[in-house]
Amino acid sequence: MNECSELLKKLCNLRAVTGRENMAAEKIAEVLRNYCDEVTIDPFFNVIGLKKGQSEPPGNVLVTAHYDEIGLIVTGIEDSGFLRFAAAGGVDPKAIGAMEVIVHGKKDLFGVIGAKPPHLISPEDKDKGIKMEEMRIDIGYDGEKAKELVSVGDMVSFVNPARELMNNRLAGKSMDNRSGVAALVELLKELKKLHHDDNVYVVATVQEELGLIGAICASYNIKADLGIVFDVCHGDMPDAPGDETFPLGKGVAVAVGPVLSKKHTRGIIKMAKDENIPYQVDPEPGDTGTEAAAHAIAREGIPTILLSIPAKYMHTTVEMVSTDDVTAAGRLAARYIAGRDKA
Amino acid sequence: MFDIIKKLAQTFGPSGNEKKVAEVITGLIKDKVDDVKTDALGNLICVKKGAGKKIMLAAHMDEIGLIVSHIDEKGFLRFSNVGGVHPWGIVGKRVVFENGTTGIVWYEEDKDDIKNLKFDKMYIDIMAKSAQEAEKVVKVGDMAVFAGDTILQNGRVISKALDDRIGCAVLVQMALNAPETDNEIYYVFTTQEEVGLRGARTAAYGIVPDMALAVDVCMTGDIPNCKPMAVRMGDGPTVKIKDGSVISHPHVKDRLMDAAEKNGIPYQLEVMQHGGTDAGSIHVTAGGIPSGGVSIPSRYVHNVAEAVDMNDVENAVKLLEAFVK
Repeated sequence: MNECSELLKKLCNLRAVTGRENMAAEKIAEVLRNYCDEVTIDPFFNVIGLKKGQSEPPGNVLVTAHYDEIGLIVTGIEDSGFLRFAAAGGVDPKAIGAMEVIVHGKKDLFGVIGAKPPHLISPEDKDKGIKMEEMRIDIGYDGEKAKELVSVGDMVSFVNPARELMNNRLAGKSMDNRSGVAALVELLKELKKLHHDDNVYVVATVQEELGLIGAICASYNIKADLGIVFDVCHGDMPDAPGDETFPLGKGVAVAVGPVLSKKHTRGIIKMAKDENIPYQVDPEPGDTGTEAAAHAIAREGIPTILLSIPAKYMHTTVEMVSTDDVTAAGRLAARYIAGRDKA
Repeated sequence: MFDIIKKLAQTFGPSGNEKKVAEVITGLIKDKVDDVKTDALGNLICVKKGAGKKIMLAAHMDEIGLIVSHIDEKGFLRFSNVGGVHPWGIVGKRVVFENGTTGIVWYEEDKDDIKNLKFDKMYIDIMAKSAQEAEKVVKVGDMAVFAGDTILQNGRVISKALDDRIGCAVLVQMALNAPETDNEIYYVFTTQEEVGLRGARTAAYGIVPDMALAVDVCMTGDIPNCKPMAVRMGDGPTVKIKDGSVISHPHVKDRLMDAAEKNGIPYQLEVMQHGGTDAGSIHVTAGGIPSGGVSIPSRYVHNVAEAVDMNDVENAVKLLEAFVK
């Protein structure tokens, strides 16, 4: 297994349900410490690594990738011991029936999302979707014990660990966006080999799934003159609109669109060509829905580049990426930071 | 305390027009705080000085209402909503403008699907006989609020505008009690919450507190065949875990729960799936302010009559006092 797959697997198996990233902040910090001069955790649990630049005074580059993951939140505990729940982040009810979960109560509790056996589904309901409020988590306990260990508001994460497939591909929960965090590490590794003038702040951010919260805080606190965002975009899959999806393993997707810096986007595409790093072009007519939207309007505005890693089956527990694209994203960003034209 | 609630709830103050509410609050608490100021968006900021942490408590002054968009030749007023109003919930209801002009909300009667009624098929009748008559008392852009008494019945309050005059009343009562603490307390009465959590954003930017709480109402799950929610009116104020705009900061949430546990104050945990509060805009301001919320469980939120339980209100005051210590 390659080094990047090894790391990404480890990152995916951390648990950091959006809004409760304190569960994993220290573990992320440990990873970044191997490559940074300083690592701090801010009050919102953004993990901030600084790799110092060599010019005086240095410019500041902010590179973010969110490390929160979608999950569930307990909304009620029934007398029978079943837990009601709602989504924390964008969870599709169709994709979670019969899933294994961990309820982060007074202690971590293993549970399953119960699903009705096909035998008991009436013919008229057979082809219908199911609503989240009709589903329950079963942790095996009766009501009394469940109420002792679980509170309303406790977070729930999905189990599905990352597994390696053919062709440098990994599938599992939280590829959105631990693959971005892995790209931060790839970037830092590449930077070690290069001379770079600028201070590089790599930030593993929180609460992206709730509205870019961590990025809004980070881009205000770190006064950067260039922003780079690593996130995922939709991978190519059967029956999906071709112009919004990108094949896996064909390179990092460089976004082009109104909220992104024309100059730096053009510059990084040129860099990809010059360095022979595989890339694809991702047209983003809107605000991109990523942290780039937050950086673009932070303080006086930070010129921002968005680099996306194609991921199939986004917001399910079998998200799939190619580590080739992760490595390409990290390498490309590092080369651009080291060689960028500051005129 | 009911008198304070009544006084606040009966004061006119739709979003963007909170001045009268601010005046009433200023009159009630100015002698109990060290500084009173109003910012550019109309937020009323009352400070009780201290050397410790800066704690911001926010309750919004604005209430939902209607805004006149057009006056037709017969003197009927067409309108749009200010904040979240259900078209079907206001048919036949009475509204009042700031100058006291009263109107009745009705709809074009050839539209028989009330559930899907749209504002553009509705109007306010102020008994004017022509456009000229109407224009003498109401202009395009004027706002109206829903009319209704504030009453206490069986320990519970029924009133218009409890969202969020009840939160304002809780903060007023707390300021009057003047709890002893080293921390610096910012009682912030915010504007324009109902139209996008706007006032709280600039207020928080101006203050940059160490932590903040939104004091507002939340929905309940205790009425017939409603959506399930593990909050009941009368079982205590809530410690907010999540609403549509924020997941409370874990330290703020823990501090609230500790304060409640140590002082034997009843509380409930709130996961509100829809609807935001000022905490949503405060926590992403000025590089991030750890925020959470305390809510008064309320039935019929965003309807012409809303309801809260006085025990929850009084316990919310106690909880906040314990929190800031």
